[in-house]
Amino acid sequence: MVGAVEPLHLPPRAWGWASAVAAVGVVTAIGLAAYPHLGLADLAMLYLPAVMIAALAGRGPALLASSLAVAAFDLCFVPPRFTFVVNDVRHTVTFAVMFAAGLTIATLAERLRGQAALARQADLRARSEELRSALLSSVSHDLRTPLAVITAAATSAADPAVPVAARAELLESVVAEARRLERMLANLLQLTRVETGIVPHREWIPLEELVGGALTRLESWLGDRPVEVAVGELAVPVDPVLFELVLINLIENAFKHGAPPVTIAARRVDGPPATIEIEILDRGPGVPAGAEDRVFDKFFRAGSAPGAGLGLAVVRALVTAHGGRVSAHQRPGGGARFVLELPVVDAPPYPADAPPYPADAPAPSAGSAAPGERRP
Amino acid sequence: MTDGRTVLVIEDEHAMRRLLRASLEAHGFVVVDAATMAEGRRAATSAAPDLVILDLGLPDGDGLDLVRALREWTRVPIIVVSARDREADKIKALDAGADDYVTKPFGTGELLARMRVALRHAAATSATAAVVLEVGPLRLDHDRHEVTVDGAAVKLTPIEFRLLAYLMQHAGKVLTHRQLLREIWGAGAVEHTHYLRVHMAALRRKIERDAGRPHWLLTEPGVGYRLRDQDDGQA
Repeated sequence: MVGAVEPLHLPPRAWGWASAVAAVGVVTAIGLAAYPHLGLADLAMLYLPAVMIAALAGRGPALLASSLAVAAFDLCFVPPRFTFVVNDVRHTVTFAVMFAAGLTIATLAERLRGQAALARQADLRARSEELRSALLSSVSHDLRTPLAVITAAATSAADPAVPVAARAELLESVVAEARRLERMLANLLQLTRVETGIVPHREWIPLEELVGGALTRLESWLGDRPVEVAVGELAVPVDPVLFELVLINLIENAFKHGAPPVTIAARRVDGPPATIEIEILDRGPGVPAGAEDRVFDKFFRAGSAPGAGLGLAVVRALVTAHGGRVSAHQRPGGGARFVLELPVVDAPPYPADAPPYPADAPAPSAGSAAPGERRP
Repeated sequence: MTDGRTVLVIEDEHAMRRLLRASLEAHGFVVVDAATMAEGRRAATSAAPDLVILDLGLPDGDGLDLVRALREWTRVPIIVVSARDREADKIKALDAGADDYVTKPFGTGELLARMRVALRHAAATSATAAVVLEVGPLRLDHDRHEVTVDGAAVKLTPIEFRLLAYLMQHAGKVLTHRQLLREIWGAGAVEHTHYLRVHMAALRRKIERDAGRPHWLLTEPGVGYRLRDQDDGQA
């Protein structure tokens, strides 16, 4: 488009109007230079491209260009030149035709732009439709697998011919698959909510408490498998409910695709900008080479691994909603290393790396409070 | 202890009512059920239940209003049932006087454990509070101002001692941040959740074998804390 030169900080709309003026100016200059060689009709035609250029910027600039073109044509070329006086009535017809042509171009350009916008919207809709159907097919497949197990196991357990001992085992798989189904739905729900723009309700929370909560939630799934927690007394500014899901998904991922020992570590990086870095480490086969970014994509699955490919997508969406970043790396010595970086936007209510455990100061009746506290 | 106890189940989903009736009756409860809030309100007076299970998502009104209405005239234990992502609703229900909650979907084992705790606490409120409290490996002696974990003495600050005593008194029951803050620091401190978090972290370090993977002092994310009940077989 016409001269989007940096130093002039005009708003985008102003450029449209300026381009109308500039285009007519340039055409007039060309016309003046070529005047001895061209007829009036040719000169009038010269103005049409100027109107077209202005029309790119919108209907308003196109109309302005048309008016300016008529005025400039009259002033510079129609005898008597360099006055607005018109001797021959025929020329007013030329003016009218010029203006009408400009108007038509402006209208057509406007309509074209409208159609382009519609096409873009349709394209966007088609793409989100595509995404939705991908989501639907992935989800319905992944929901169907546990459902199939549940249906089969429950109907067998109800069969009187099945021995009691086998029945207990069948019911156990019903419970396990139902839990899996629930975790999948929780992820799906969070993903939809994050995409529609939820705002995390942040608080400063000791990381140890968040990790402990996630591990309690995973207790029956984890069983005896060990998790080493080395997060010290660091506090993090996060939404407790959303961030618990982040940790649950990362821990689950470490056990599903990695191998023990699984370690959760954290430290404060003074920056600038100051961040808190949380690492989830395992000793499994590591992230597939070249897939360090793609593991966070929706529906990405490492090989034939089970699951909907939603866990890490939810992690990325929730961490981004917290203004942070998540990345996957190869861990030196083998295994995967997932790193969460959270920005430290404001000061914690106590030093983040060393909560002072206030010496019972805010208590109204500190001291030998407890014995007197008994209830009647 | 459940023999002949009456449970009022207020739940709009037919399948869930049927299932709760079957499993609660198998455990010796008498079950009265209601599908709407209006029915539930009537049954609460006519059936004189020993415990109420209330689904917060009822079609004919806010379950929270029913909690408030019931609390105007009865101390009957109320356990609310709510979806996972409705922390705000859970907190409101608990602060309005509900005794505990279970998150849908729940195992009946978990529900029965919560019911046992609620019934036990309801029976205990009239009795004198014990001088010595015991939960799992934890033992707290009010008179001697002493806490032991597996027989080993643990040194607690006065705040930690009061926190632990309150949690042990309500073992197995969820306590909201607000409830704990009001009890330990007073009504003026109910917004200062970080006091609580800091002291809880310190307490965990003293009473848990692995503070990073706590077994007794559990966090209910976004809601509060719960000291695991010793006979709570559920994971």
